[in-house]
Amino acid sequence: MKIVSLDPRVTRSNIDENTQEGVLHEKEHFQTYEVFEQKKRGTHHIHAGSVHAPSADLALVFAKEQYSRRGQCVNLWVVKTADIAATDYDDADIFETTSSKLYREPDAYKVMDRINAFKERQKSN
Amino acid sequence: MEFTDKHVQGLKDLLYKMADDLLILGHRNSEWTGLGPILEEDIAFSSMAQDKVGQSLAIYEILNQLGESDPDTVAFTRNANQFHCSKLVELPIGEYDFSLVRHFFYDHADAIRFEMLATTVVEPLQMVAKKFKGEIKYHTMHADVWMKQLAEGSDESKMRIQNAINETFALALGMFEPSDFEAELQEAGIFDGEFVLREKWLNKVVPLLESFGYSVPDATTTIPEFGGRKGQHTEYLQPLLDEMTEVFAIDPGADW
Amino acid sequence: MYGNGYIENDGKPVNSLTVNEDPIKLAAFEARIAAGDKIEPQDWMPAEYKKQLIRMMEQHAHSEIIGALPEGTWITRAPGFRRKLALMAKVQDEIGHGQLLYSAAETLGKSREQMTNDLINGKSKYSNVFNYPAKTWADSAVIAWLIDAGAIVNQLANSKGSYGPYCRALERICAEESFHLKYGHDNVVFLATGTPVQRAMVQDALNRWWEPIMHFFGPSDKESIHTETLMRWKVKMGSNDDMRNMFLDMYVPKIWDLGLTLPDPNLHKNEETGRWEYTEPNWEVFKQVINGNGPCNKERLAVRRKAEENGRWVRKALMKPEEKYVNPLA
Ligand SMILES: [Fe+2]
Ligand SMILES: [Fe+2]
Repeated sequence: MKIVSLDPRVTRSNIDENTQEGVLHEKEHFQTYEVFEQKKRGTHHIHAGSVHAPSADLALVFAKEQYSRRGQCVNLWVVKTADIAATDYDDADIFETTSSKLYREPDAYKVMDRINAFKERQKSN
Repeated sequence: MEFTDKHVQGLKDLLYKMADDLLILGHRNSEWTGLGPILEEDIAFSSMAQDKVGQSLAIYEILNQLGESDPDTVAFTRNANQFHCSKLVELPIGEYDFSLVRHFFYDHADAIRFEMLATTVVEPLQMVAKKFKGEIKYHTMHADVWMKQLAEGSDESKMRIQNAINETFALALGMFEPSDFEAELQEAGIFDGEFVLREKWLNKVVPLLESFGYSVPDATTTIPEFGGRKGQHTEYLQPLLDEMTEVFAIDPGADW
Repeated sequence: MYGNGYIENDGKPVNSLTVNEDPIKLAAFEARIAAGDKIEPQDWMPAEYKKQLIRMMEQHAHSEIIGALPEGTWITRAPGFRRKLALMAKVQDEIGHGQLLYSAAETLGKSREQMTNDLINGKSKYSNVFNYPAKTWADSAVIAWLIDAGAIVNQLANSKGSYGPYCRALERICAEESFHLKYGHDNVVFLATGTPVQRAMVQDALNRWWEPIMHFFGPSDKESIHTETLMRWKVKMGSNDDMRNMFLDMYVPKIWDLGLTLPDPNLHKNEETGRWEYTEPNWEVFKQVINGNGPCNKERLAVRRKAEENGRWVRKALMKPEEKYVNPLA
C-alpha cells in the first residue's frame, strides 16, 4: 500500500508502506573531515566538529552550513580525520609538570625587592 | 530621469518575476528538508531554500514600497495566473538530479541578474543586490561542486545529470522570456534586459558544463518554455499555491 | 530532541556488568568522573559505559532525524514568511543535531551507516512522541514549544554528563534549542491569543499531545530499574520523574497562563512537597508505541528508508572504496 500521509511531500513520494529498501553499505556516508572555523581575522581557527563528505571541496561546502550558519565566520579549514595525528590521553602525564616549571614564567622574576634593598644600601652609604 | 508609468510598470514586472521565482523555488527546495541524500547536504540545501525565501521577501518589500500589498498578502493570496515565475521553478522536486540541475541553472541566472542589478538606478534594488551577493555566491559554489563531482562520479551519475540537463534546458531558457518593458527598463537604467542576461548566462554555464564533461543542447535551436512570466503556468503551480496557503485559508482574518 | 525514556537496560542489572572489568582501571575511571573530569573517546572505559553511551547517543540522533518528520509535515504549508522561514530553520537545526549526535556516537566506533540501518530495521529506538501525527498547524506549534521544552530539560542535564563528545555536541544543540523554544512559544501564543478558530486548534492539539508529552520523560522511577551505576557514571543525569517534574514546573503555569487547559483533572502542584501530581499516563500505550504499534511508526521508518534509497545513486557515485574510514576524533 502506498502511504497517504498528512505530509503532502510524503504522499507525493509514492512510498510503499512495507518497503525494505534503504539499507546502507559501509562507507556509504563517506569518510569524515574535521572542521576548523575562524570567527574573526586575527584569531585562531578552532575545531568545530566533523562532517561526512566524499571530497575536501564538498566537505567545505557542507561545513559552511553545518558549523557556520549562525554567527560570525571568515574562514574554514577541513582536514581528513585520517590525516590527523594526536597524542594519547594515556600519555597526558607528559604535560603534568609543565605548569610547575616556574623559570619559564614571568612571575618567577621579581627583582623589585632586591632593587629597593640595593637603593637603601646606597643611600645609607 | 523621471520614471513614467511604463517605467514603473516595467520595474514592478521585473520585481514580481524575481520575487516569484525565488519564492516558488525556495518553497520547492524546502521540500527536501529532512529527505536529502546525506545529512550534511540536507542542511546545505535547506539553507539555500531559506535564502531564496528570504530574498523573495526582500523584493516583495520593495514592491510594497512601490504601492503593492504587503509581502504576505502578495505571496500567499494570488492565484497561479497572477504569478510571474518561470515554469522552471514550479515543477515538482523530482529526483535529486533534476533538483540539482535546476538549482545550477537557476542560481547562475540569479547570480548574474543580481550582479547586473548592482548598478541599477533603483536604489533599494541596488542595495538588495549587494546585500545578497555572498549568499548567491555560495549557491553557485554549491551547485558547481556538485555538478563537477557527479560528472567525475559514476557512469550512472554522469548520465542522470546529462539527461536532466537535456530535459531542463528549454525550461531554463524560459527564465529569459522578454517582458513588455525591455526597452523602458534599459533606457531608464533599471535593468539591461533579459536578452543580455541570457547571453551572459549562456557564456557562463555552457563552458562550465562542458569543462565538467557534459554536453549542452544548442541554445539557438532549443525552443524556450515561455509563458510563465505572463501568467501561463504548468499544471503544478496552482496545487502548490493551494498547499502554501492552506493554513491561511482556515481563517483568513487571523494573524498567524 | 530526546526524552529520558529507555536507555537503561536489556532487563539485566547494570551493576553485574562491571564484574569483569579491571578493578584498578575501573576505580581510576570512576575517580575521574567523580572529580568532574570528562571522558574522551580514546580513554579506557567499561564496556557497559561504552554500550550505554552509544545506545543513548544514537537514540538521541535518531530522534532528531525522525523528529524532523512530524514538523516537516507543515513545512510546505507554514502560514506566511515569518513562520515559513522559522520552521525551515528549525527543522534544519534538528537534522543538524542528528548529524552532531551521530558524530559523537561514531567516536565510540559505531558507524553512521550501522546506526541508520539499526534505525530503519527497528532495532534501535527513538523518542516515542514522534510516532504521533501532526494533524494541524497547531500541532507543529505545540511540538516546537513543548516537545522542544521537554528535550531541553533533558539535554541541559545531559550536557553535564561525563562523555566529552556528547557534552560538546549538546552545548551547540542547547544553544540552538533556545531558538526553537522561543519560536514554538511565539507560535502557540499567536494561536492562543488569536481568533476562536485558532484557539480551538491549539487547544485540540494540546489535548492530543499531552499524553505523549508525559510519556516523553520515560516510565515512572518506580518502574525503571538499576540506574544508580549509570547515574554514578554520569550517563544518566536525572531520574525520569525528576525531569518530568522539572518540565511541569516550568511549563504548566505558562500553558495555564494562556487560558489553555490540560486534559488531566488531577494535575496540580503539591505546595508542601513542591512536586507535581498527576494521573499516571498509560504506560501500556507507551510500550505499544515504542514497540512499533503507534499511529505513525510504520510511516516514519518507511520515509527514512525511501530517503536513504533515493540518495543512494548520489552517494554511490562519490564513494571511494579504497579510502579508509576512521572514527571522528572528538
Ligand atoms: Fe534538536
Ligand atoms: Fe529542537
